[in-house]
Amino acid sequence: MKVSYNWLQNYFEEKLPDSKKLSEGIIFHSFEVESLDKVKNDVIFDIKVLPDRAHDCLSHWGIAKEISAIFDLKLKEKEYKIFKPVSTNLKIEMKDNKCLRYMGRIIRNIKVDKSPAWLKEKLEAIGQKSINNIIDAANFVMFDLGQPIHCFDLDKLESEKVIIRNGKVGEKIITLDKKEINLDESILVIADERYPLAVAGIKGGMKAEVDNNTKNIVIEVANFDAISTRKTAKKINILTDAVKRYENEISPELCGKTMESITSLIFELASGEVEEVVDIYSNKPEQKTIFISADYINKRLGTSFLKKDIENVWQRLGFEYEEQNGEFKIIVPLLRIDITGPHDLVEDVIKILGYERVEEKLPEINLIPKINEISYKILWSRNKLLNDGYSEIMTYSFRDKGEVEVLASASDKKFLRTNLSDGLKESFKLNQINMPLLEMNDIKIFEIGTVFKKEGEEMHVAYCDKKNCVEITLEEFCKDLNISEFFYDELLKAKSYKLKAIFKPWSIYPFISRDVAVWIPEGESVDKLKQILIENGTDLLIKEPYLFDSFTKPTSSVGGDGKISYAFRLVFQSFERTLKAEEVEEIMTKITNKIKENVDWQVR
Amino acid sequence: MKEEIKKGREHPLSIIINEALKIFTDLGFEVVTGPELEDIWHNFDALNIPKDHPARDMQDTFYIKGDEGKVLRTHTSNVQIRYMEELVKSSGKPPFAIIAPGKCFRNEATDATHEMQFYQIEGLMIGENIDMSNLKGVLSHFYKKILGSDIDLRFRPSFFPFTEPSIEFDLKFNGKWLEMGGAGMVHPNVLKNCGIDSDKYQGFAFGPGLERLMVVKYGMPDIRPAYQGDLRFNQF
Repeated sequence: MKVSYNWLQNYFEEKLPDSKKLSEGIIFHSFEVESLDKVKNDVIFDIKVLPDRAHDCLSHWGIAKEISAIFDLKLKEKEYKIFKPVSTNLKIEMKDNKCLRYMGRIIRNIKVDKSPAWLKEKLEAIGQKSINNIIDAANFVMFDLGQPIHCFDLDKLESEKVIIRNGKVGEKIITLDKKEINLDESILVIADERYPLAVAGIKGGMKAEVDNNTKNIVIEVANFDAISTRKTAKKINILTDAVKRYENEISPELCGKTMESITSLIFELASGEVEEVVDIYSNKPEQKTIFISADYINKRLGTSFLKKDIENVWQRLGFEYEEQNGEFKIIVPLLRIDITGPHDLVEDVIKILGYERVEEKLPEINLIPKINEISYKILWSRNKLLNDGYSEIMTYSFRDKGEVEVLASASDKKFLRTNLSDGLKESFKLNQINMPLLEMNDIKIFEIGTVFKKEGEEMHVAYCDKKNCVEITLEEFCKDLNISEFFYDELLKAKSYKLKAIFKPWSIYPFISRDVAVWIPEGESVDKLKQILIENGTDLLIKEPYLFDSFTKPTSSVGGDGKISYAFRLVFQSFERTLKAEEVEEIMTKITNKIKENVDWQVR
Repeated sequence: MKEEIKKGREHPLSIIINEALKIFTDLGFEVVTGPELEDIWHNFDALNIPKDHPARDMQDTFYIKGDEGKVLRTHTSNVQIRYMEELVKSSGKPPFAIIAPGKCFRNEATDATHEMQFYQIEGLMIGENIDMSNLKGVLSHFYKKILGSDIDLRFRPSFFPFTEPSIEFDLKFNGKWLEMGGAGMVHPNVLKNCGIDSDKYQGFAFGPGLERLMVVKYGMPDIRPAYQGDLRFNQF
């Protein structure tokens, strides 16, 4: 959610900390701040409000309350332009309980006009387009308080009556963005006596659109059921800022303050005659009280906060509280529907006091863990195969055919693998091509993993070399293993784990490998040969020459010359391009000539 | 040239998993496993994730065609539930500590830092007095062992339905703060759902991704080669 620094500042008398400090405070005490952008003379934060606080923090007011608690800054009382409502004839009929509260208010003789500069600026700062003073006011108050608002042109209604009801099959509505929606019984609508005017909580319709000629309006400030709003929005594929708020279950209590705020703002911008509010609100949420002690909090956190530290948190959060028998009795603010028990308050306390105040303590436990058979067998099988010279690979669980299929996938492979062998064989081919790079004389690989059959999942072991590929169940592979003899230590020690090791990326371009074999007289060092190869191999020689073969002729005593043949493999590759054969030949010629400078040596 | 059998090369993720198991079993944690194909109860419901709640959007889930009560597990937290249910069934009770590395799945587009399949390591410790400072202590101990003692650990607020408080933790490694994973104090509802007295017992859970740790530890630019069966990846 985009939040403006200047907008937040309006909530405080005191100057806010600079944007960087403010952002840090929010990150370590409330929410992640994904970005921080300077826009003209403002700074815009992109705040990732957590799902459990989206019901009360998807607004500038919500974030301002967080800031007030984090930095212990007093929130300023907002001043509203005073208006005196007159009596009303507005009728509201509630026909479905998916609407939890509906407040309606008529304002007559307004002047629809352009918005003043301050309002345009505020909306544009958070990426909203300015339309006219009425629509802008409704948008502004939503981003300010987190409660969606809708305005209808009263004169476009059949009568001064608003009905909240389910849609009917065959009924249609054209939304403000000119999309035609087919309604049905599951879709809640706001209607006049004949036609639907809006898809409740999601999008207004063209029929009662506020335009430049509008004189009289009905303001709607309502609360709709979170789940059904979310389902309908998904069904008709419209995601609006209003939906984002309703689907996170905002409190119906927010309607009251919002109605005062939007009425006052429209009155200020467009004047008019304000009528009384009609408020349909049958199920008021119950006032929750929670008892919590400092001991409870410290026990869960492993801290030793004093009672007064904790009391200070309640004050900063603006909670009403009293002390009873050594416990705090907290009156949970109605807007904080996430707080259901003392465990939730523990989080509020540590968020405000700061997680850095939790120390690092290793628990004192005397637990003698049992051996887990499956993980033991996996460890044992892996060790056995490694010792037999097999290297481990991991392949994807998704394939393009199989017995178990997923409903939807971001990839084209929608089936789960029924065996490991298919992946293993593909890997075998890939690695065989790369043998010179791997300094391996043959490829032996294995995978241990889950396969999925109609009957369910199964853990398999598969291993593969140039002769054959074997795949059996983990059970079968471990049939001779007697678990009781061992403990994990045996399997876990002597691993190739190193504290410091850095990965070397490889080139995506093809490599060229060349072998060179040389006869060298007895007693002369092979290192000299290796040195020549390294010195003349250029930067394209990507690894140390690899000695893959050597043998000795019979010595002079039995009629031979005793020379030794050393065969090295050279691998050339570039990180920037595909190498040409000629350039490698050129290097090889240079190397051969260098070797020939040693008169007793012979290139084979 | 005579050749004795050379030992095969281990996959880097396995190296990490083995080392993690060693560190945690030394601390007294019990290794446990659980299914990759899981039912809705163990993957969502028992973990206090309400039906139709946006919280389920946080996990882009693979549902199984023809068996919509089943999913590919979106996290290793299913193992928590299975372990505790089993414990209660066999008349066992806390304290206990478990560690469960395992493969998880999320339906999201693949890039250099995201894969549809990935490994998590789930830790759960429950007792009468297991608190958040113990969580910090255990995580700090683990990362110091696996990355070196010159790291720092910090917590930030987060949200998971199955923990309260919930945190995200970062490590300072080679002078840079890096996001590593999520953790928190087990939500009382999760204990209740498994039949454990949540007034008497409390504890922590964590579930960081292992690819993330691997990439950080070895300085890898991309996680994708991990599942391509390419032995050039087995460098250590």
